[in-house]
Amino acid sequence: MIDLDHDILVAFAKSFGLFYLMALSIGVVVYACWPSNKKRFERAARSVLDDEEGPWR
Amino acid sequence: MFGFHYKLERHTIPFVLAIIFVAGIGGIVEIAPLFTIGETVEEAPDMRVYTPLELAGRNIYIREGCYACHSQMIRTLRDEVERYGPYSLAVESQYDHPMLWGSKRTGPDLARVGGKYSDAWHVAHLDDPRSVVPQSVMPAYTWLDDTQLVTEDLGQHLAAMRRVGVPYTDKMIANAAADVYGQANPDSDRASGVAERYGEETNVRAFDGEPGPVTEMDALVAYLQILGRLTDAAHEQQALEGDLR
Amino acid sequence: MVAGLTKGERQFAIVISVVLALCGLFLAGAGHQRPLGVHGLLIAFLGIATVFVVLSGYIAPEPSEERLSSYYDDPSKAGIIIAMIWAIFAMFIGDWVAWLLAYPEMTFDAAWASFGRLRPVHTTGVIFGFGGNALIATSFHVMQRTCRARMPDQLSPWFVLLGYNLFCILAVSGYFIGVTQSKEYAEPEWYADIWLVIVWVTYFVLYLRTLARRQEPHIYVANWYYLAFILVVAVLHIVNNLAVPVSLGHAKSYSAFSGVQDAMTQWWYGHNAVAFFLTAGFLGMLYYYLPKRAERPIFSYRLSIISFWGITFLYMWAGSHHLHYTALPHWVQTLGMTFSVMLLVPSWASAGNALLTLNGAWHRVRDDATLRFMMVAAVFYGISTFEGSFLAIRPVNSLSHYTDWTVGHVHAGALGWVAFITFGSIYAVVPILWKRERMYSARLVEVHFWLALAGTLIYVFAMWNSGIIQGLMWRTYTESGTLAYSFIDSLVAMHPYYVARAIGGLLFLIGAAIGFYNIWMTVRTAREEPLEPVADRPIASDTPAGAVQPGE
Repeated sequence: MIDLDHDILVAFAKSFGLFYLMALSIGVVVYACWPSNKKRFERAARSVLDDEEGPWR
Repeated sequence: MFGFHYKLERHTIPFVLAIIFVAGIGGIVEIAPLFTIGETVEEAPDMRVYTPLELAGRNIYIREGCYACHSQMIRTLRDEVERYGPYSLAVESQYDHPMLWGSKRTGPDLARVGGKYSDAWHVAHLDDPRSVVPQSVMPAYTWLDDTQLVTEDLGQHLAAMRRVGVPYTDKMIANAAADVYGQANPDSDRASGVAERYGEETNVRAFDGEPGPVTEMDALVAYLQILGRLTDAAHEQQALEGDLR
Repeated sequence: MVAGLTKGERQFAIVISVVLALCGLFLAGAGHQRPLGVHGLLIAFLGIATVFVVLSGYIAPEPSEERLSSYYDDPSKAGIIIAMIWAIFAMFIGDWVAWLLAYPEMTFDAAWASFGRLRPVHTTGVIFGFGGNALIATSFHVMQRTCRARMPDQLSPWFVLLGYNLFCILAVSGYFIGVTQSKEYAEPEWYADIWLVIVWVTYFVLYLRTLARRQEPHIYVANWYYLAFILVVAVLHIVNNLAVPVSLGHAKSYSAFSGVQDAMTQWWYGHNAVAFFLTAGFLGMLYYYLPKRAERPIFSYRLSIISFWGITFLYMWAGSHHLHYTALPHWVQTLGMTFSVMLLVPSWASAGNALLTLNGAWHRVRDDATLRFMMVAAVFYGISTFEGSFLAIRPVNSLSHYTDWTVGHVHAGALGWVAFITFGSIYAVVPILWKRERMYSARLVEVHFWLALAGTLIYVFAMWNSGIIQGLMWRTYTESGTLAYSFIDSLVAMHPYYVARAIGGLLFLIGAAIGFYNIWMTVRTAREEPLEPVADRPIASDTPAGAVQPGE
């Protein structure tokens, strides 16, 4: 088993954290702006305006 | 390409896992190194544990919510060091389950209040704060003086503390109730055992001014008088830094 | 309540209540003559009382199959009333402790009435009592509507709602008798914590089961926020409350962590309670009720997704900004500071998104106090997240920490954002739930709005002033290089601000009381003259335009 000493953990926390942050932000922005998702999002945004009729089944 | 996210949405469980993953990483990365922090916390060979009386006092401090208005953490800022004393070291709260660093100073910091005032001052102050500090807004804790301290289960308290990592010995646990009485009754035959188990530096006094039955006032004052005095590490650190300058 | 349950559910409810009562009796026996014994008796009493309530309605006919064609709103209705009761109670306590700081003699020498014991009563009461019940009630409403699906059963929402309130009652009554862990916003002791885990898991499973019944593959974004709230709060709660009880007969426990680890865990919890309880959950409310009330879709759905992941991700790292200049390692402080500043991006994205949704509907904001509640909430959300990022910067924090500035910041968020969005959502949802055209009195909503706004502004400005003065006095030096003011000097300087703060809080409390009256009257008139139930029919029926619109 690898000896998880303090310095290793700190170094990992510092370097990996930054990489993770960037990868995640890019992924989320790309997903949100992907053209084929547009229609779905618009329908979702409108869906709450008229939803009091009752459950679908 | 987004079949993946589509699945995330269709099936709630993967979506839930995504939230845990995204949110969890931050917590793990930030907290994990603290569990190996033992390597970075300063050494303090002279650090001693709370006596059962002081621990009982600490529990009263918690019960009454003192931490809501008093911090126990002197920051590394000049004005704080000059006002309250050497800045707090991590090692000083290593036996604090939970820590009482606090987040608000409606009243002053108490990290080094131990020994700053006399027992009598504390008793008068807790009984009626405005009798000693006229402008104080602290509540009066009149019931501490006439409430008997519950001592018979303090051994169990020490045992629970040991389970979370505080080095209480079997003898300390077995003698908890006797040590409580001894620490507040210097003339009794049980007093000598306290110094034997917790060190010669331990305060053995009638904290509330009256020997005999141990009150909650005894316990709370005993606790306040030990704050910042479990180890000299912070003072040594300050002296060391002074030398370097 | 009982009439809505099926026979099987009634039986199960009795079983749960009996088990609960037995647990209570066990604790009462084990903790005899200790605070735990009191709580044991309380649990046993409530368990037995529930058994009787269920038994008294046991023979009532079962609900018909007809029920499946409508949403199940009874728990939401109860939750909103309970939330308002908590609001009044806890805001009253809050104002009381505010007066105590100005006039400390108002404790009548009673242990339970001293500041240190009342303060967690206030914080728990408003955050968990008022905020939590409002979140549960609205989440039940939102998840059913956005999924177009009824909750899968009738018992679990009641278990969640009532079980959660048992937790709140145990917490608050515990502080009065001196039961507390002293961890801020996580004060309840181990047995209450374990109970909350059970309740919370049921809540989470209920949410997932309802989501699973939906037809549309996409989950509406409000549910994301509610889900993140439920999930992350569970994780935070379990980790931060790890402790070893003295024995099964003692309420007292000792935290598994100590010193610096405990501090980090506590503020990791504390800050993320703000993030996922007081922000994510209420953003869920915002993303549903604001578009609904404004009758306009959210300005940018994409932006709401981006800010969701931003908030979920960034907040977790920010907790250590509560521990600047302490014994916490320096790099953890820096990490917390950096992420706190970055948090401004998703936070302002949400606030901007809300305000831009109202763009083009400003005339409605002008005329409709309910919508104005939500608008002001978005503005305060923007202000307090900016302030939060600012205060997390280490040198700024050196001045603000430990002072009333923090209190002012918290209340800008808690009053201006959380309470405003909650009141706005409640005013929007009450007419829907009770099938009224509008609230009993639009004018009283207006009065509530202005009282709440005035109260918040007075409160926040008083605390900004006092906090900054305090911080400056503590670090002011004389020409000879000694500290210029004693601590008590700074305390004396606070007095006028403490009085002003208490007055601001009083205005806010009066507003909430008026709100409660208004809701109560809306409910009562609903009962007296029930509207033709045109809503709540399946889509298949031929009443497409029958839905009640909040057209106040």
